[in-house]
Amino acid sequence: MRFSFVFSEMGVAIKRNLSMVISVILVTFISLTFVGTAGLLQQQIGSMKTYWYDKAQVAIYLCTKTSPAEVCPQGEASKDIQDTVTQRLESATLVPYIDKYYFENHKQAYKTFQQEFKDNSVAKYVTPEQLNETFWVNLKDPNQAPVIIESFNGLSGVEEVKDQRTYLDQIFSILNIASLAALSIAALMLFSAVLLISTTIRLSAVMRRREIGIMRLVGASNFYIQLPFILEGVVAGVIGSLLAGGAILGIVQVFVQGFLAKQLPFTSFVGIPDALALLPLLVLAGGGLAAIAAAAAIRRYLRV
Amino acid sequence: MISISHVSKQYKGAPRAALEEISLEIDKGEFVFLVGASGSGKSSLMRMILREDIPTSGSIHVLGENLIGIPNRRVPHFRRKLGVVFQDFRLLPNKTAAQNVAFSLEVIGKSKGFIAEAVPDVLRLVGLEDKANSLPSELSGGEQQRIALARAIVNKPAILLADEPTGNLDPATSMDIMALLDRINLSGTTIVMATHDRGIVDRGQKRVIELSQGKIIRDARGASYGESG
Repeated sequence: MRFSFVFSEMGVAIKRNLSMVISVILVTFISLTFVGTAGLLQQQIGSMKTYWYDKAQVAIYLCTKTSPAEVCPQGEASKDIQDTVTQRLESATLVPYIDKYYFENHKQAYKTFQQEFKDNSVAKYVTPEQLNETFWVNLKDPNQAPVIIESFNGLSGVEEVKDQRTYLDQIFSILNIASLAALSIAALMLFSAVLLISTTIRLSAVMRRREIGIMRLVGASNFYIQLPFILEGVVAGVIGSLLAGGAILGIVQVFVQGFLAKQLPFTSFVGIPDALALLPLLVLAGGGLAAIAAAAAIRRYLRV
Repeated sequence: MISISHVSKQYKGAPRAALEEISLEIDKGEFVFLVGASGSGKSSLMRMILREDIPTSGSIHVLGENLIGIPNRRVPHFRRKLGVVFQDFRLLPNKTAAQNVAFSLEVIGKSKGFIAEAVPDVLRLVGLEDKANSLPSELSGGEQQRIALARAIVNKPAILLADEPTGNLDPATSMDIMALLDRINLSGTTIVMATHDRGIVDRGQKRVIELSQGKIIRDARGASYGESG
């Protein structure tokens, strides 16, 4: 086996078929950029989930004067109700689930609200009485929230029991849909990349059918005949995936770290190391896919 | 060397069999003319010997290989023991004479050193050492066929198949090619040559196998082309 010869044959094939090879490179590039973006988005969702789920609490909102009458017929929750809730939270059945809890009265709730909405005009109209007095419960295992919800739902004087994770889940499901959309576009593009690679390889084989005919006559092994074509596909696929890797590094550096991270300073975002970790996978995917597509195309074209 | 027994070939959709109950033996060192009209089955038979096609029935043994049972991956190695030339030379137009010969060695993985020695040797044998760097388009038909012959024999095959090697050449050039084939034959290579050329066959006085409509109608040694051609 002489590799220099195989590589020079591959070079000739690429030169003759340059426009098709470039189109393979571009399609692989775009599709793998989508794959990589979806991958990073999934990582981002994962890291945000672990970060926020740990901070998520179950809120037991007590009735206020302004609460709707269907749930709070007796109006503002009395001190008795506060005691009942406290007793239950301290009871032997619930204690094993609870990490810690604290009570937030109207004044404290108002202060937090003013802080959180300080640039919002709504802050001017809200009065302390309108804001629920709330028991904030941190659970040992955030997945056990239904236990707390069941214990306090329907208790008179309690307006609502809410697991904060339900708000997070909405955000995450939107992000999930975005990454799924990126993945389906990627799948579609990868499919066309595969078709394009097999067409390119077959075209390349047609252009070199004299050489192939002679190679077969003088007894070149199938592997030797097919290798330059497979390598042609692999080279195009690898170049495309390297470009995709570069694009993803650029997106992370410029958009995520340069823009998002500055806008939202308290959130941890995916960084360059995550993108670098993704790079070999992309190259493997691009090269592997191209090799399989090229090998399948050339095998069907070149039967003994 | 070549042993063919009760070989028939029926192509799909063809009205009659391309080959019908062909049986023949060709020994080491023989020079055999395969004659017959177009469509008589000469080319089909050559394809079978080269294992480019498999007969519908019967058996073929070439150089100790059973060509019916040989696995696909062994076919390339089998073909390395055969040389082939055609009417249309089949040279690569963008490679020089020497590169054309070298190509057939490169693709079977021969070393650079081996190629550097074997190519000039074989070009000298066919009398074209001074045309080594010419492109096929710069060579005459006879010279192109010499290059094709050089490529076919550079790997020292035991059998040389020649399918109408003089079909595109004028009589004088054909004589030169025949003289070259005779020399190759004298060095021990078995030659099977399909041809239409009555003059060449008559002058050769070698074994003649005549095919007609897929059947052998004559197999004679030291013979002429015959009446039916």
